[in-house]
Amino acid sequence: MENFASLLAGFQVALAPENIGVCLLGAVLGLVVGAMPGIGSLAGCALLLPLTYKFNPTTAIIMLGALYYANMYGGSFSAILLNIPGDSPAITTALDGYPMARKGRPGQALMTANLSSFIGGTIGILILTLTASGLATIGLMFGYAEMTIILLIAMTSISWLIGENPIKGIVITMLGILVASIGMDTLSGAPRYEFGNMYLLGGIPFTPFIIGCVGFAQVIKLINEREADEKKRASDDSKQKLSIKQSMLTGHDFKRILPPVLRSGFVGTFVGVLPGSGATTGSMVGYAMQKKFKSEEPMGTGAMEGIAASEAANNAAAAGAFAPLLALGIPGSGTGAVLLGGLMMWGLNPGPLLFDTNPDFCWGLISSMYVANIFTLMVAILVIPFLIKILSVPVKYMIPIITCVCIVGAYSTSNSMYGVIVMFVSGIVGYLLDKNGFPTAPMLLAFVLAPMLEENMRKAFIASRGSLGIFADSPLKLVLLAVFLVLVLTPTVKAVRKKLGAKEKTPV
Amino acid sequence: MEKKKWNLRTVIPLATIVISLVFIVVGLKDYGFWKGQPTPGFFPIIIAVVLLASSIACFIQIARDSGSGAVHYNRNELMVMLGAAGIILCTFVIGLVPSCLIYIFLWLRFVERASWKVIVIIELIMAAIILGVFTFWLQIRFPMGLLLDMIL
Repeated sequence: MENFASLLAGFQVALAPENIGVCLLGAVLGLVVGAMPGIGSLAGCALLLPLTYKFNPTTAIIMLGALYYANMYGGSFSAILLNIPGDSPAITTALDGYPMARKGRPGQALMTANLSSFIGGTIGILILTLTASGLATIGLMFGYAEMTIILLIAMTSISWLIGENPIKGIVITMLGILVASIGMDTLSGAPRYEFGNMYLLGGIPFTPFIIGCVGFAQVIKLINEREADEKKRASDDSKQKLSIKQSMLTGHDFKRILPPVLRSGFVGTFVGVLPGSGATTGSMVGYAMQKKFKSEEPMGTGAMEGIAASEAANNAAAAGAFAPLLALGIPGSGTGAVLLGGLMMWGLNPGPLLFDTNPDFCWGLISSMYVANIFTLMVAILVIPFLIKILSVPVKYMIPIITCVCIVGAYSTSNSMYGVIVMFVSGIVGYLLDKNGFPTAPMLLAFVLAPMLEENMRKAFIASRGSLGIFADSPLKLVLLAVFLVLVLTPTVKAVRKKLGAKEKTPV
Repeated sequence: MEKKKWNLRTVIPLATIVISLVFIVVGLKDYGFWKGQPTPGFFPIIIAVVLLASSIACFIQIARDSGSGAVHYNRNELMVMLGAAGIILCTFVIGLVPSCLIYIFLWLRFVERASWKVIVIIELIMAAIILGVFTFWLQIRFPMGLLLDMIL
């Protein structure tokens, strides 16, 4: 009950005219960015981060939250109409969405995606409302040692989950931490690893680094998609006409999508809460789960149940990911890391104390997600007749536009060409890493979490006078340590087993 | 020919090995590790040691894995990088906003061979975004460059 009272107070913040305006703006921008193939929520949030500087922290994060959220809706548009997922969580949507559109039901496929996203997202936000402050209360029991282990779990789990190769994940995570340690020592404020350079004394600026690693790196990759994009556009699929009336679902359709939406809504939320998972894993789990249930049409051939399961799960996961972000200060994904970095820039320290120190902010954000969900659904339905026009902006024209937005955005957040150079260098490095199979999302997460990890780890060692025993002197710490060790050892054991298996199969 | 083994995929772990060694050596030399309590070098040194170990493992893994296909680079990818580098360099001469607008024109006209109509529309949209959102709304003062500084 207390949570709902706080939520009502939060609505007073969320329903302030300025916040409603930015929420709507975030919803529209999120839908557009999500619908554009190849940009994605991570790059979208990073590119739009500079625009939020004008706002107060609550308004700024409401806009980014709405943008992130609407992105999940938008990703399905190009997946269904062009078979090009706008974002990675929409990959599973394309499996049934595109075949359904080819069967002559593109409008119904879009409406299924929109409604499933709405219901799945609502389930996720409801669970977030009920659990976030409880999670924060649990978080208050954590000392420096517990927080150290939890942060290590968050960093390692994203490495395992995102990349196919855990060793590359560790390399990239450690690199992100080292980059973050350039500048000032977090505890003493002494200069560190600045190599005599006055710019490095202030550290690597967060926003230009993120814009480069995600936004600029994405533009470099985008150029390879030009030809495929042109071919898709030349096909008949992109010349169909849509209307809201034609897109309406029947009662029978509702009956078909409701069970998978409810199932995926719950499962997706819990997947989203897990550190390192996020919306992509959520949609994959939701889709895989639906395969175990009965569908009216076979999955992969245009089954509405497949679209519903995937979309409900990814929106629920996007909402669920806010729980550890707000309550523990641990983002669940790369996009979460951008949001966390934004919060820190505005002087807020996400973590167990945030619900006590900034209740207006926390509950304002949570209630704004309900508002954003409704706005996004409305915009997503109203935009259906214009979708073909929006999607007809060729990728090739986006390349110079996004490049300039990256440069202008990097300059505006640092007020110096140093920011632009950081963006440029990190963009090229991010692109080369990604191209060679080193995922950049763990690096972003590590970059954001590194100061927190260092502070907690050093304070734990100061408290214990250097004894490692502080990390294993209570049942809670032992459980956390066991989780961490399982995460670290599982891929190693898997690799050894795979090798042994391969040796056994090799004919002598 | 074993040329494939020495591609960028192999160079990346080598680069991270060098980075980790720099952080370990500079950390131990300048910032220390432990003086009754952790010093500023404590945390980065631990992380650099883990990076060193994982980079060596990664290097060995990549060197052994001859089955992984070579990564292909596209000339156009380099063009995007050069374009951005060009904007940065031109900023010091003619300022950031004109550099961006000229870059968009050159890219659309000569790389994408876009029509004049498309170029004008995109130029107008970008000018509106840069000047409207960043200059007037966010009140960012973009660098004018040597030339404009002299004229204005």
